[in-house]
Amino acid sequence: MSEKRIREHPVLDFQRKDGFFFDFEGKQVLAYPGETIASALYAQGLQRFTESKLLKRPRGFFCAIGKCSSCIMRVNGVPHVRTCITPAREGMKVERHGAMPEFPDTTLPCPKVKEENIEVAVIGGGPAGLSAAIVAAENGADVHLFDENTNLGGQLVKQTHQFFGRYEEHAGTRGTDIGKDLAKRAEEAGVNIHTNSTVLGYYHKNKIAVDAGNRLEIYGCEGIVYATGAVENFLAFENNDLPGIYGAGGVQTLMNEYGVIPGDRVLMVGAGNVGLIVSYQLLQAGVDVVEVVEAMPTIGGYQVHASKLRRAGVPISTGHTVKKALGNEQVEGAVLHELDENWEPVTGTERTVECDIICIAVGLKPDNHFLRLAGCKMKYVRELGGMVPLRTETLETSVEGLFVAGDSAGIEEATVAILEGELTGAAVTEKIKGGSEKLLAVKKRARAGIEEMRKGPYGQRPLEGVRACTFEGVCPE
Amino acid sequence: MKGYESTGIIHGKDIPWPSEKRLSQGPVVIIECVENIPCNPCVKVCPKEAISKTEITDLPDIDHEKCSGCALCVTECPGLAIFVVDCSYSETKCRITIPYEYLPRPNKGDTVHALDRKGDMVCEGEVVRVRESGKTLGVTLEVPREYARDVRGMRVIE
Amino acid sequence: MTTVVCRCEDITEDDILEAIRDGYREIEVIKRHLRLGMGPCQGKTCIPIIERIVARETGCKTQELDIPTARPPSRQVSFSLLAGDDRD
Repeated sequence: MSEKRIREHPVLDFQRKDGFFFDFEGKQVLAYPGETIASALYAQGLQRFTESKLLKRPRGFFCAIGKCSSCIMRVNGVPHVRTCITPAREGMKVERHGAMPEFPDTTLPCPKVKEENIEVAVIGGGPAGLSAAIVAAENGADVHLFDENTNLGGQLVKQTHQFFGRYEEHAGTRGTDIGKDLAKRAEEAGVNIHTNSTVLGYYHKNKIAVDAGNRLEIYGCEGIVYATGAVENFLAFENNDLPGIYGAGGVQTLMNEYGVIPGDRVLMVGAGNVGLIVSYQLLQAGVDVVEVVEAMPTIGGYQVHASKLRRAGVPISTGHTVKKALGNEQVEGAVLHELDENWEPVTGTERTVECDIICIAVGLKPDNHFLRLAGCKMKYVRELGGMVPLRTETLETSVEGLFVAGDSAGIEEATVAILEGELTGAAVTEKIKGGSEKLLAVKKRARAGIEEMRKGPYGQRPLEGVRACTFEGVCPE
Repeated sequence: MKGYESTGIIHGKDIPWPSEKRLSQGPVVIIECVENIPCNPCVKVCPKEAISKTEITDLPDIDHEKCSGCALCVTECPGLAIFVVDCSYSETKCRITIPYEYLPRPNKGDTVHALDRKGDMVCEGEVVRVRESGKTLGVTLEVPREYARDVRGMRVIE
Repeated sequence: MTTVVCRCEDITEDDILEAIRDGYREIEVIKRHLRLGMGPCQGKTCIPIIERIVARETGCKTQELDIPTARPPSRQVSFSLLAGDDRD
């Protein structure tokens, strides 16, 4: 097993001290504070995290942000623990599923349930959620923010590139710095921050249930802002479940949050902004990107991102996709082929590339599970990436008091997520505590900012999408 | 369909280019940004007000006469799409300032591989200046003058 | 050939094509028939894929497809938490 931790990086600085060990199937594994079980294991070269139940196929960690459950292991005797979001602790005992488990310890106490009434619950600590929490707390609301990860900032903390947008907003700043800045401001504004806390469900009258790790917590909320972002799309191709085939978000998390490289030679599938940006970040981390393939006839992401890759010598092949992954225990290569204008494979165009990682970046879908639980009226809006809630101009859903912001409301840029967060933070505070000049000003500024971001050719799609799901007055059936 | 939409490679005809007269007068900015991205750091950072936009989604409007070639925008552009070219000081050489965010870091005096927009090596270049701003380097290379329109990247020789 | 759609429950594209041929044409029905989307991740990876497969095979538009009912808990949770009583 080879060490995969990044020692030097042109942008990021990984502070590693006070290393400790935990037990993985009888072996001592080194970890550093802030690392998850999965990132520490991957850093040691572990590829096979689970074995599938029926087909007995090896599986890697895959999403790395707590969504896919490909990394679940038994931790200190507890089965099905998502190792990708569970912090590594000294002396913990980690093992893969498969062997016959011991009977659970029946002497463990069942922790007491905490029940509390609060004013505003913000679910999700990324750009939208943090911005909403900051505005609400700064305007006198009692705000609780829940995020299932250890670190706040959502996907921002993984963005090593400078952001586009308005100079006054955050443009020219690296995403990772924006994330840290928002987290600091939320703390300073007096937001009650609950990390490692997973929201499990929505119940009558805006009650939410939270798995706080050591106990169940029930919160009665006067207002909720839901901002958990997006989930990644995945592709169906032969051998698509091999270890070494990961979502772009997973690769980004591993590399830029935990400082662990995914492998040595990466095939990137998808030339939208996510695919292009993650490819660039791989190059920055010293990883070879052998090729970027894109099924569409044109590059979906910004030309400037594509040009950066081309200048670094990375080929981009439009009208191409991956037909199958090669390898038995892990990825050893991929077979690519061309697609015609009807998306049909062109015979005779198959070729093989050597790679040990296939990174999938074929778009995002709004994370909407909680909104569907809450009974929000939903609509499929292609321009926003999938099923989104109907909403008012201040992003309140058909369920009174439940607001939505960021990618959960529709896939757009991080700048829009921040502005939508500010808008909903102001709107939810206004609803609970009454209006004020200051709140009115925040709303006005945020709405003007969103409008400005949706100008121009790249703004047309989301603009049309938002028009298709925004209602005035009573929500339509 | 423009070529860069499927290749990611910009061509000289896609971008505004300063006049021969302006090129002969001193360093000047070349902005390879063609897509109406909502973005404005280049406008805000320019001390000479040589770059302007009415709407944030406009393409940058460049007044090459006002530009002093200071290269502040080179490290500020989030798209790493701004370069400065200086063809004014020699019959045979020119200097090109490019943004750079990789390791290993180039140092003044190094000989490096100068690359074109496709990442192919064009010639060798000498690093004459390295300026850092927020972890982005603005690296000024000296290369033969005939490559002023081609060199847009570099690779450190290890 | 193994093209996996649902990673948690090991359901392949062939399983789904067979189910569609057998007359299971709605996502909710395919889910109940095959246990697709009923594993620990609760359909976060497979539902987008099956939407595309069902749309392609049945000729429906994606926006006309049903999506499975959402039920709590959104994530796996240990029994001891749910069993906790004696509220504060």
